[in-house]
Amino acid sequence: MASKSLFPSPSEPKRKAEVSIRLSEFEIPPMQDVLLVGKKAPIGPEAIKRMVNALSPDQYEVTQLDHDIFQAAVLKKSLVKLLPEEKLLPIMLEEGSHIATERTVVKAQVNVVIQVNRVADL
Amino acid sequence: MFSIGDIMTRDLLTVGPSKSVEHAATLMNQHRIGGLPVVEDGRLVGIITSRDVRSSHFNRLVADAMSRQVVVVPMECSLWEAKELLERHRIERLVVVRNGLPVGIVTKSQLYVELGKHIDALTGLQRAEFLQRKASEFLQNGKEIAIIFLDLDDFGAIDKELGHVWGDKILQQVAQVLRSAVEDGVDYLSRYAGDEFAVVTTRPFEDAKKLALQMVTALTRESWPYELRVTGSAGVAGGRRTCSRRQEDEVHTVSDLINMASLASTKAKKEKKPVVVAGMVELKEAG
Repeated sequence: MASKSLFPSPSEPKRKAEVSIRLSEFEIPPMQDVLLVGKKAPIGPEAIKRMVNALSPDQYEVTQLDHDIFQAAVLKKSLVKLLPEEKLLPIMLEEGSHIATERTVVKAQVNVVIQVNRVADL
Repeated sequence: MFSIGDIMTRDLLTVGPSKSVEHAATLMNQHRIGGLPVVEDGRLVGIITSRDVRSSHFNRLVADAMSRQVVVVPMECSLWEAKELLERHRIERLVVVRNGLPVGIVTKSQLYVELGKHIDALTGLQRAEFLQRKASEFLQNGKEIAIIFLDLDDFGAIDKELGHVWGDKILQQVAQVLRSAVEDGVDYLSRYAGDEFAVVTTRPFEDAKKLALQMVTALTRESWPYELRVTGSAGVAGGRRTCSRRQEDEVHTVSDLINMASLASTKAKKEKKPVVVAGMVELKEAG
């Protein structure tokens, strides 16, 4: 009985798998400081709320919006402590509108620096 | 069969808010339906329709695509009330609830098919059941109503003289004349039986009496085929309730009022008067 060769004949194509791995740390929380959720984004406010509550309980607040492009915004509570939502949100929406569509979710890293100059009597 | 509970789909198919829009769409396609009540822990929390599905990303949660404002009706809701709700909210379906829990669904087409059975094919007017329900509904809401019962005079003679084909044509014309005498949203006209027509109106009683006279006069002024003289006699009865009662009781009260108006129209015919007023009934029973 003739045995079948384990090696392909020279006429058969050679198949190889090349594995490339990039490892990096999964950020917790993964949504940085602000998320702007488009009206037709693949994920909506309720799903965002559940995700945020599961990954970083009590650290974010979700605000429903009445906006042309965005349906909701997720703001880090510690950020809102530095700059109130009514000041921060209009800036984020204005900037976000330049780059986003109804179908996207935008994440933003926001740095707020408070500058204070005080004078004390000598 | 006049309540939503009688015609609703009881095999209620629902979806959870945590399911994907894609799952909801698959369910709708499989069962060929256009909407699903969204239920969480047995409680109705929204409704997702094919329109919501079309305008949402398939990856979204049902909770993020559904409408949270659900128009619900109790099982006892009349077909006509349900129709008004559907039209007012411009929606395609109503969720039926019992003790706050969803128990069925009724669609616009289901409702229209059923309502079609209560429309008189000859005149296009509603039938007697509609009058009963509408009057009962008004009384339940504490409104003052009046019933006008109009009976054509000696219509049998017209049928005998001209035949039933012409008799039917005359009835259609009568319906047209009466329809133009009443006001939509205030007066509700129906063909009660054969040559009898009835109106339930929310006009004040004095105005209802005037309307009855206008209806009789409109028939007299109309030009009829073969220069016939088609006339009618009307009876008017009014009712008012100060405290709401159970619906079954209202149905009896309405029947009494219709009967009073009907007897008054017979009296009008005998006495050769255009309109006879049976009176205004104060309904003071405790609730």
